[in-house]
Amino acid sequence: MVRWQAGPLCALVAAAAILAGAEAGMAEVFPYPIHEEILANGLKVVSIPYDSPGVVAFVTVVRTGSRNEMEEGLSGFAHLFEHMMFRGTEKYPQLVYNDILDRMGADHSAFTSDDYTCYHILVSSEQLERVIEIEADRFQNLRYTEDEFKTETGAVLGEYHKNNSRPFQMMEERICDGAYTAHTYKHTTMGFLRDVEDMPNQYEYSLEFFSRWYRPENCVVLVVGDFDRAKLMAAMRKHFETWKRRDFEYEIPVEPPQTGEKRVEVEWPNPTLPYLYIGYHAPAFDDRSIEMPALDLLSQMVFSSTSALYRELVIEKQLVEFIFAGAVDHRDPPLFTIMTRVKDEKDLPVVERRIYEALETARRERVDPARLEAIKSHMRYRFALGLDTAMSVAMTMAHYLQLTADPQTVNRVYEMYESLTPEDIQRVAGTYFDEVNRTVLTLRYGGEG
Amino acid sequence: MRKRLGLVTVLLVGWMALNPADSPGGKPMSTILIPSPDSPLVDFRIEFRVGSIHERGGQEGLNCLTASTVAGGGTESLGYQEVLEAFYPMATDVSVQAGKEVTVFVATVHRDHLEAFWDLFSALLVTPRFDEADFNRMKDIQLNYLRNVLRSTDDEELGKEALESFIFEGHPYGHSVYGTVRAVESLTLDDVRAFYRTEYTRDRVTIGLAGGYPEDFPKRVREALARLPGGRAKPVIYPRPKSIHGIEVRLVEKPGTATAVSLGFPIGCRRSSRDFFALFLANSYLGEHRTFKGRLMRHLRGDRGLNYGDYSYVEYFDEEPGTVYPLTNIPRNQQYFSIWLRPVAHRHAVFSLRAALRELRRLADVGLTDEEFESTRDFLLGYTKLWGQSMSRRLGYALDSDFYSIDRDYLGAMDRALRELTLEDVNNAVWHYLQAANVKVVMVTEDAEALKQALVSNAPSPITYEVEKPREILEEDEEIATYYLDVRDEDVRIIPATEMFEM
Repeated sequence: MVRWQAGPLCALVAAAAILAGAEAGMAEVFPYPIHEEILANGLKVVSIPYDSPGVVAFVTVVRTGSRNEMEEGLSGFAHLFEHMMFRGTEKYPQLVYNDILDRMGADHSAFTSDDYTCYHILVSSEQLERVIEIEADRFQNLRYTEDEFKTETGAVLGEYHKNNSRPFQMMEERICDGAYTAHTYKHTTMGFLRDVEDMPNQYEYSLEFFSRWYRPENCVVLVVGDFDRAKLMAAMRKHFETWKRRDFEYEIPVEPPQTGEKRVEVEWPNPTLPYLYIGYHAPAFDDRSIEMPALDLLSQMVFSSTSALYRELVIEKQLVEFIFAGAVDHRDPPLFTIMTRVKDEKDLPVVERRIYEALETARRERVDPARLEAIKSHMRYRFALGLDTAMSVAMTMAHYLQLTADPQTVNRVYEMYESLTPEDIQRVAGTYFDEVNRTVLTLRYGGEG
Repeated sequence: MRKRLGLVTVLLVGWMALNPADSPGGKPMSTILIPSPDSPLVDFRIEFRVGSIHERGGQEGLNCLTASTVAGGGTESLGYQEVLEAFYPMATDVSVQAGKEVTVFVATVHRDHLEAFWDLFSALLVTPRFDEADFNRMKDIQLNYLRNVLRSTDDEELGKEALESFIFEGHPYGHSVYGTVRAVESLTLDDVRAFYRTEYTRDRVTIGLAGGYPEDFPKRVREALARLPGGRAKPVIYPRPKSIHGIEVRLVEKPGTATAVSLGFPIGCRRSSRDFFALFLANSYLGEHRTFKGRLMRHLRGDRGLNYGDYSYVEYFDEEPGTVYPLTNIPRNQQYFSIWLRPVAHRHAVFSLRAALRELRRLADVGLTDEEFESTRDFLLGYTKLWGQSMSRRLGYALDSDFYSIDRDYLGAMDRALRELTLEDVNNAVWHYLQAANVKVVMVTEDAEALKQALVSNAPSPITYEVEKPREILEEDEEIATYYLDVRDEDVRIIPATEMFEM
């Protein structure tokens, strides 16, 4: 499955004590103890006890996504590879692997994004060692034939078609293609259609892909829930320490600064209201830099349901059905995007202009401190409300582990939210939203014939 | 993962429940409580036994519009914008899920804000503002969902909606909960006010609360909701769905790169039926949602790479957003069996339909083996535990159990029932309820006339691969390609997608 990335942050988690602490500017936002150990081969193991009696989440974060698809004509491979990982090994062929997990009643799946691939299993705690054994086996000993590989590429093409019956995939594909010239974010995680169609011919590359990226130094194992830590680590060492490093060296092309506004027109073959989708190049995530946290708060200030722009466009004039904006944390500079669906095509220009004017206002005027405090409260409680199951805690942590491999990153980010001032927000508003830095996409019905 | 867009969320999702016990005059409000004193969160599910089945002819979509105008509007004293501003620092909101039989308002709030939140939430429910601007905003969203989103940008939902309407033609379930374009266009704010007054009454509310709320909080919830309008629900008559003769087909035509397939038929089995868990197990064997466990998934996707997924269901199903688990609070007094094939290449549409029907017939003819029964039971005993991970989901199941008048601990009851089941129970249920001869099929496709001819002619639909396939798969393919489709010319109707949901 390909994960959609929408909104400024993944939904997060929290608990009462944490919130009280955050308000006092003291405690760390992440409310559960974090244990971190590194095996001899470089594989990091992060374990988090969580009150989920008898249930544990076992997550393997491979810090490779479509960002790592550097070769021409091979976009979409990280996602394809996520599919291949379910094709089994000599010891546990696909049907046996699935049967083992099915008999455990495990919920097991995976997803791929621009920066990482995430394999997640939710299972009863008593099965944890067995899960570790079969996961260690497939991450080291995956085997599939060329015919099996070709069959799986059919499922991936089917997924492309499934997603493409909706405008969002198409818009994402086209705005990335338009906004980037060199960096691999030029293609989406799904990949270009021409590359997806060519996948059946790339069996050899698939073997190289596995060899490059499915290595202990490029992965983090995350365990959340009800488990015995001594037994966990003993099983991890027993089954995972045989995994060999490769330390593959690579270089992702750097995107040069954009020097002029770009415009992309997309025709949709079926009737639809028009969409406006605007992207600005934003900074890479860095847990020592306030840039992304400040942009997160800016997106709340300018585009959330309590913003002046939302009031005008959605509630009062009702020119658009919805509007949302933000940048998802990425390892390299992503797009800060603004998406809206306009009720009448003739209003597209005025809606676009009002968006730019709202950003200009943020550049010109400092946010009211009371409003900033409401935004910070929103961020804290959104985090708290998102931590309600072992898997939701795991997914929150996985988001930060894929970025830095450091479980303390989450606490640093929320400390930065608390520390941000109106001047910080005003500064980022003045830094990233220039006309020359933006790509503007419109999608509308192409009409009969 | 399903993407949710701003206010569309209000239309498509939502839940929350209240169980009043102190309703003056009417029957006591039903209250379902799952206390968890240490939890920092409080979940609400306030469910009304009101759905699209209560709409009069010509007002299809009125319940959805009423519910969304309540959840996405203001109160007597606060406008919508002020409500948003009050909820914002709490990072919460109220969502609503308007179904065929019930409508549920849902919210989760941190206990730091419980009192302030409830003051506002209860005011939305009891003294909704019904502002003209809010009504217009929600009506626009609903109309656009029908005209553009369903028809043009979500073939899978389109297929599912079209199948339900087809199976329940002429039945209270026979129209989408979003209504029809013609009806929604004609609805006025007065219609919404009147529907709220006569249908959203205190005798039809069930209160669901879970989490770390104070001991006296449920009483306050009941007291607040006792101010809902009074009244009595009129009984709904559920006719028997039309019988099906052979394979009846609707082809929804629209441009697109792949064909979406849904098929099914009514079954007289629901959660309160004696055979339910037996049939539930058999269905899991055939097509457990979003897993590789089911035969459909393994044979269509795993062996042949036809598409992304292939599943089956013994009750109306939707997916809980952000998970692969069943959405709660979509109960039905009448159910249907269905198979959902995710989009397949146009050239494989007939082959895929045949493969699905053949799997269904195989199950209906021979049932499960002892090994298949045991492995499916083992799977479900573990897997269904995961369905109750969050308090909100447990609350949702408890409300559904209240609807069906069964054990409130549905997942616990399921565990016990699964352990007691025998292979004979399961196969008896299969033979009683499942068949592949009389089925309604919806296919969303690009060249409907060509597809119709392919179906009616019964011409073989062979499949070829670019790779070597094991002999047993190729032999099976030959059987699939010539599987007899009992489709008569007059039982195939082509509908342009642009005409769907019009009236």
